[in-house]
Amino acid sequence: MPPFFIPGKDGDPMSWMKRQRMLGYVFIAPNVIGMTVFLLVPALFSFYLMFTDWVFSSGRGPHFIGLDNFRRMVKEELFWISLKNTLLVMLPVPVAVIIGFLIAVMLNNRVYLTKTLRAFFFAPYFTSGIAIAFVWMVLFQPSEGPINAFLRSAGITDPPRWFSSPDTAMIGMLIMLTVGGIGYNMIIYLAALQDISTELMEAARIDGAKTRHLISKVILPLVSPTTFFLLITGFVGAVKGFGMIYAITQGGPANSTSVFSIFAYKQAFHFYEMGYASAISWTMFLLILLISLLQWWGQKRWVHY
Amino acid sequence: MNAQVSRTLQRRAVKWLNTIIMAFLSLLLLSPMLWMISTSFKKPKDVFTYPIQWIPLDPVMTNHIKVWTTGDGFLTFYLNSLKISATLMILAPLLAALAAYGFAKIEFKGRNTIFFLYLCLMMIPQQVLFVPKFIMFDWMHIYNTHWALILPGLFTVFGVFMIRQFFLSLPQEISEAAFIDGAGHIRIFARMFLPLSKPVLATFAIIDFTWNWNDYENALIFLIDKNLYTVPLGMQNFMQEAGVDYNLMMAAATASVLPLLIVFFAGQKYIIQGFSSSAVKG
Repeated sequence: MPPFFIPGKDGDPMSWMKRQRMLGYVFIAPNVIGMTVFLLVPALFSFYLMFTDWVFSSGRGPHFIGLDNFRRMVKEELFWISLKNTLLVMLPVPVAVIIGFLIAVMLNNRVYLTKTLRAFFFAPYFTSGIAIAFVWMVLFQPSEGPINAFLRSAGITDPPRWFSSPDTAMIGMLIMLTVGGIGYNMIIYLAALQDISTELMEAARIDGAKTRHLISKVILPLVSPTTFFLLITGFVGAVKGFGMIYAITQGGPANSTSVFSIFAYKQAFHFYEMGYASAISWTMFLLILLISLLQWWGQKRWVHY
Repeated sequence: MNAQVSRTLQRRAVKWLNTIIMAFLSLLLLSPMLWMISTSFKKPKDVFTYPIQWIPLDPVMTNHIKVWTTGDGFLTFYLNSLKISATLMILAPLLAALAAYGFAKIEFKGRNTIFFLYLCLMMIPQQVLFVPKFIMFDWMHIYNTHWALILPGLFTVFGVFMIRQFFLSLPQEISEAAFIDGAGHIRIFARMFLPLSKPVLATFAIIDFTWNWNDYENALIFLIDKNLYTVPLGMQNFMQEAGVDYNLMMAAATASVLPLLIVFFAGQKYIIQGFSSSAVKG
């Protein structure tokens, strides 16, 4: 007899089915509990904290102050600097998306050694992190670093001081972030391009479409969901960015590379302003939400599914 | 030579030319990493020679030996990172697979609502959580321990999402047949779905490993004692102490990128598939 009819003290197959359905909760329980403890509860806690004046080191508990943290924030110059820098950090995203797209088109069927080249282009993204940030720091070293040595040899007698100067630190960051992002976009586009049927491409080519038209009239519309995905995740990732920038400059010199996440981090863990830091981080969340909403709205106009 | 042949030859020439251009471009993007590796074998006086010595004229091993053997604790950082990343790389995919099965294959009340809420959690940036987690971990007495990185790392939204997609793509019949034969969900999951999902579990394990290996923010906030540092934090410490010993710095940087490079070239197929499928389906 199959076990279908045995289980359960009552021997009723329906109650066995029911128990099997209840197992659903058991399967998801570890993750749901874990997420509640490490994500949902902290999020709610921080949501409450943003309306308080809690300073962790003061020994006083949190005290409700309404929206005072936000009033304080908009009056602070560093908030506006951080907002500007956070928006600047989004610039590399479309640049890396475009370059990634062009490389993917080339790699799709216009070169030999596709797999090797794909790995070469993807590796800088895959390995990027704190270690690579320090490599860039040395590459951009103002007096003797290779980048400035190259610029001098190209006849620029007074090359930028990059991360050592408030005027150029951000430019260095943008270059680093662009190079780091290309590989990911390329990989995703390449997968999308391989989904486009070759017959369609051949048909267009036989109809005499030039490469330029093939790209703009056939390929671009077909990969528009991918473009949309890459821009959204890219912008959201850029707004959250912290590690590589903080590792190189800690937001300096003279706060010139302070982004939201660094602003919030310093308020929390240098000054222990837990309430204020929570308000800043939720503002960051708002910015992320805004980007997502704007793009959801925008996609209706240019994404072809 | 007829027109057909010359056209084929011309097309091949163009394709090779493209290949060379793309190869050059890829090397340009790889150049920071190549410079890092070559500098790690240089003597201090050769670090900034120009034109750049991509292959050191006078290569030395001393930097690499020094990084691993001097009392800066780089070996300790390395072992700490390996411990945390390896633990998570084994446990996180299994836990994610469990939830993924529940969400994909069992119909229980409120499933879709819970899954939707679960996905919504992905919107919340880590930065929102640092302050409350810092306070909670202090209460839980796991602040300044590796548990502060391991426990939250066990649960991933991305992993559940990715593995669920894979389970949904499997034909419905196979689990239904087993179910009618009287196998319960636990048996179907353990005997059927886990073995079937090896590739996707491997892909997620690799991605999870790189996340945790590179995780800098959590370590920066939740670890204080130097002997608990992970590689990214240790790197920073190393930078501050190494000062202008750039060759030594680059040896440390090379060491910290090495596991990623090994994982990348060993699991390239899985990685590329994993990254692309998660995005296209997402």
